[in-house]
Amino acid sequence: MSTLSTNSSKNLDAGQIITDSPSYWSSVRSNLKNDPVTIAFALILLSLLLSAIFADLLAPLDPYKTNMLKRLKPIGTEGFLLGADELGRDMLTRLIYGGRLSLLMGISPVVAALLIGGLLGLTAGFVGGKVNMSIMRVMDVFYAFPSVLLAIAISGALGAGIFNAIISLTIVFIPPIARVTESVTTQIRALDYVEAARASGAKSLTIIRVHIISNVAGPVFVYSTSLISVSIILSSGLSFLGLGTEPPQPEWGLMLNTLRQSIYVNPWVAALPGVMIFLTSLSFNMMSDGIRSAMDIKL
Amino acid sequence: MVKTYSRKNRLALLVGAVTFSMMVILAPPTNKAQAQGTLKVGMTLADIPVSFGQPDQGFEGFRFMGLMLYDALINWDMSQGDKPSGLIPGLAESWSVDPSDKTKWVFKLRKNVKFHDGSAFNADAVIFNFDKLLDKNSPQFSARQGSLVNFRIPSIKSYKKIDEYTVEFITHEPDSFVPYQLCYILMASPAQWEKTGKNWNTFAKTPSGTGPWKLETIVPREKAEFVPFKGHWDANRVPKLEKVITIPIPDPNARTAALLSGQVDWIEAPAPDAIPRIKSKGFDVVANAYPHVWSWHLSRVEGSPWNDIRVRKAANLAVDREGIKALLGGYAVPASGHVTPADPWYGSPSFKIKYDPDASKSLLKEAGFSKDNPVKIKAMISASGSGQMLPLPMNEYIQQNLADVGIKVEFEVTEWNALIDLWRGGAKSPQAKGAHVINVSYTTQDPYSSFTRFLRSDLHAPKGVNWGFYNDPKMDELLYAASAAFDPKERNALLAKVHTRAVDDAAFLWVVHDVAPRAMAKKVQGYVQAKNWFQSLTSAYIKE
Amino acid sequence: MVAYIIRRILYVIPIALGVSVIIFGLVHIAPGDPLNAVVPPDAPKETVELLIKAYGFDKPLPVQYLIWLGKALEGDFGISYATGRTVSDAIASGVVNTLILAVGGIFIGTIMGCLIGALAGYFQGSWIDKLATGFAIAGVSVPHYWLGLVLVIIFSVELNVLPAMGMGPGGSTSWTWDSEHLKHLILPVITLSVIPIGIITRSVRATIAEILTMEFIQTLEAKGLRKGHIFTHVAKNAAPTVLAVSGLQVGYLLGGSILVETVFSWPGTGFLLNDAIFRRDIPLLQGVILVLAMFFVILNLIVDIAQSVIDPRMNRS
Repeated sequence: MSTLSTNSSKNLDAGQIITDSPSYWSSVRSNLKNDPVTIAFALILLSLLLSAIFADLLAPLDPYKTNMLKRLKPIGTEGFLLGADELGRDMLTRLIYGGRLSLLMGISPVVAALLIGGLLGLTAGFVGGKVNMSIMRVMDVFYAFPSVLLAIAISGALGAGIFNAIISLTIVFIPPIARVTESVTTQIRALDYVEAARASGAKSLTIIRVHIISNVAGPVFVYSTSLISVSIILSSGLSFLGLGTEPPQPEWGLMLNTLRQSIYVNPWVAALPGVMIFLTSLSFNMMSDGIRSAMDIKL
Repeated sequence: MVKTYSRKNRLALLVGAVTFSMMVILAPPTNKAQAQGTLKVGMTLADIPVSFGQPDQGFEGFRFMGLMLYDALINWDMSQGDKPSGLIPGLAESWSVDPSDKTKWVFKLRKNVKFHDGSAFNADAVIFNFDKLLDKNSPQFSARQGSLVNFRIPSIKSYKKIDEYTVEFITHEPDSFVPYQLCYILMASPAQWEKTGKNWNTFAKTPSGTGPWKLETIVPREKAEFVPFKGHWDANRVPKLEKVITIPIPDPNARTAALLSGQVDWIEAPAPDAIPRIKSKGFDVVANAYPHVWSWHLSRVEGSPWNDIRVRKAANLAVDREGIKALLGGYAVPASGHVTPADPWYGSPSFKIKYDPDASKSLLKEAGFSKDNPVKIKAMISASGSGQMLPLPMNEYIQQNLADVGIKVEFEVTEWNALIDLWRGGAKSPQAKGAHVINVSYTTQDPYSSFTRFLRSDLHAPKGVNWGFYNDPKMDELLYAASAAFDPKERNALLAKVHTRAVDDAAFLWVVHDVAPRAMAKKVQGYVQAKNWFQSLTSAYIKE
Repeated sequence: MVAYIIRRILYVIPIALGVSVIIFGLVHIAPGDPLNAVVPPDAPKETVELLIKAYGFDKPLPVQYLIWLGKALEGDFGISYATGRTVSDAIASGVVNTLILAVGGIFIGTIMGCLIGALAGYFQGSWIDKLATGFAIAGVSVPHYWLGLVLVIIFSVELNVLPAMGMGPGGSTSWTWDSEHLKHLILPVITLSVIPIGIITRSVRATIAEILTMEFIQTLEAKGLRKGHIFTHVAKNAAPTVLAVSGLQVGYLLGGSILVETVFSWPGTGFLLNDAIFRRDIPLLQGVILVLAMFFVILNLIVDIAQSVIDPRMNRS
């Protein structure tokens, strides 16, 4: 909803940068090195990722072990650093484990949409003509839905479940990625030196590989990373509505949903899963911004 | 069904949203002051139940719409809360079965009963309402209303008017449960239906029954306002309040918030965790046992682990019902069968259902299972639903209990309506995908709903809701004998045998009975919580 | 420009048709019998079959689609399976309630966004800029359903100063702009405004920063024009962007408020949509999604046309 909605892909301006030169990448590296904020958020993200992967080693307790005597204990209870949920399960443990599904559900739709949307956009931009028309007009139709509405509508139709949520978000992200890819591809294709390569008789495939992909990949990748933040919020939102993960799996959106019933007993424990969603989404946004400015890409 | 659209609606939508906003802004301010004696109720429903006669939304629809506007021939006694509420004469003063032909029932109707619109209630009105449900060729036939209630009257074969105040019903076979079936058929006014253009959806806007409340205003999804019907035939049931406003608030937290902030005076089913806070703010929380059971319905299809009685008993012994009661804030009664021990149908089962993990483990060991080699179960549950209490945390807790003894449960969470479909389909249907458990909570208000439909072998899905294909010839015999027993004592004794047999066979995994907590402001007085799914607001009043 | 506007308006037709096909298709690929919402569990088979006929489920899908589309064009979205009430009435009242929130959200969002964005753009690179940019990024990164919950915890549960849910005493039927009702508006509107604030701040900041570096402004400054005049010039040049971004945000708020409406039990379209999904009420589901999507399509159109009128220089090939 956030980045998607700026609709900025219309005013894309990537044709000016040529990313396939060695000096360009060394300048990107040095730009990143001098950006402590981006590095800090990248480290936060890295630790979130690592703690999700190594949850078995890090988490103090069993994420499924219930304990009625400990239910809804406040933050700071002995043995329950971040309190306990409505079934007396350790919050810290569940927040750590929760990262697995939340990150999976947030990142995988963008990756899938990057592959599908990227391919569609590349085809449309490179082939042009009728192919471009037909691909992009279909994308326009999907683009006519606000992203949250489309995600909820598809999930609502397919039914709850992790897989269905990932499918619905993938469909949501294909059109914007395809649009950006198409627009960058079209601009690059029109560049003089690509035209020159064409005229010199190089085969189409070679042109794509050498010039287009290497120049399109950067901006499209940066744009996609900015979508991950939206995807994290949306996927947790689907679970929050009961359209995503299913219990007892620990997942931040679902935890927020069930703990919401207890805000009159232990309000701050109920707010914790949202802090994790916020932190993750913020980190992805900050990192994406940092990379974008380091690569000097205007989207 | 019948479709009428006022031109205004169509235009209104087209004119566009800005106009709407303007209309809203310019709408004259209404009187905000709460009139003395107005009760505002926060329901758990997401919408106002339909008002055209037979309500939707299950028993809460009956509670807050059907039985407010309408009476049935036979009513539930909701005037006391000490003993289980039974059936009492409603629009029929008396009824009896023909001693020589037990398929023939004669109902003597009450005289001098008026509908809200002033027209008279008589035998023609009864026939009109049954035709509405059962006769496809009658002009008033409503497939929608029939679908909402016909399954509750499986025994009725035919009916006819004998004279102005006598009606006769013929059943397919002798069935003493007939009164428990007819109490769901509500009597709507034929005269009002004529007046509203012979259209039930129009009728729904200005409905007319004989019930103690008249519908004054209905705003879908937002509120319904009821005023007393001063001409009700039973002077004791003329409401004391000036007005009742029902408001749908499906979210338990929102209901709590609405009560605490004074937007409503009464809420159904407050979130258990919020109850201490509600009490500390000076509100009353009332609760009373009612015929409800929250259980797991077990599949007995070939290959189901539940076919081993040791596994069924082990599961019943593994569940920590006190823990679940704690989860529900104390507002539940641990179940030791389908009904509570105080019920005349309880009987004397020898299998004592309690929390005994050690006994459970040894039963499982006998059956060849352990924590390392667990029984594997797939259960279909819902995330919400009428009577389901807190299905997610309750099921998660049971899952953990069972895991501790060696039963590994995997959940398939479906949306409530989809779960109902799966329930109707039966455990053998492809949609059930081999699930061994379905968690639908049940009423135990009448014998058919409590036992027959789950346990009789000829009511296997999709014919009935014997979801798990339970098949026990001895049980069939007992159930047929019970429905053929016209003496209440004899019938109760037979039903006690049915229940004893079901518990000793561990036919279900029984967990708790709900006690229907309701929270209300101190100024709400006079309300008696009947031991029933249905409740009456007629005795309540507001004392400022 | 006129040609562009006509082309742009005509383009809405295929898009709208595509949207309607997607919506119809979506609802019909859904698993489960659509009648579940209508029929109680143990209703007899023959009643079920009667209802299937009555609702036209026995007809082939394309026929069902055309019938639905034809009626939808007349503003008739059918009758809710669950309640027998007209869908257009339900949508109309839902849209009004959602618009109250969305308009409130965009109002605050635009004012705050312009203010913060202008400050950040003007003092580009200073601590004000950094603070504002950080705030903007936080705004677009926050899960707004969670923010709503946190606001409820602070202002309703802990401080008990603002209501946690609903539209106030009379619901939407007797909504008035008095303090009693406005109180109910505060938390949901703040929650909804956070994303627009973030997005508008970002684009205003970028636009202002860009305009300030432009030659003509520097020329104006060199000519010694007063600050007020320069401000007018900058505002004039930034207006199309702000307009476009805010306009589109209204559309996103209409669709996106579903989660916030759930948190606050606000009886708008989001609430309606949620209800329709969980009750599998197909006419309602199709109607709500179609109306919201159409709102969005038309908003897009208006924004595009308005932009081209205000700023004809924009390239619109």
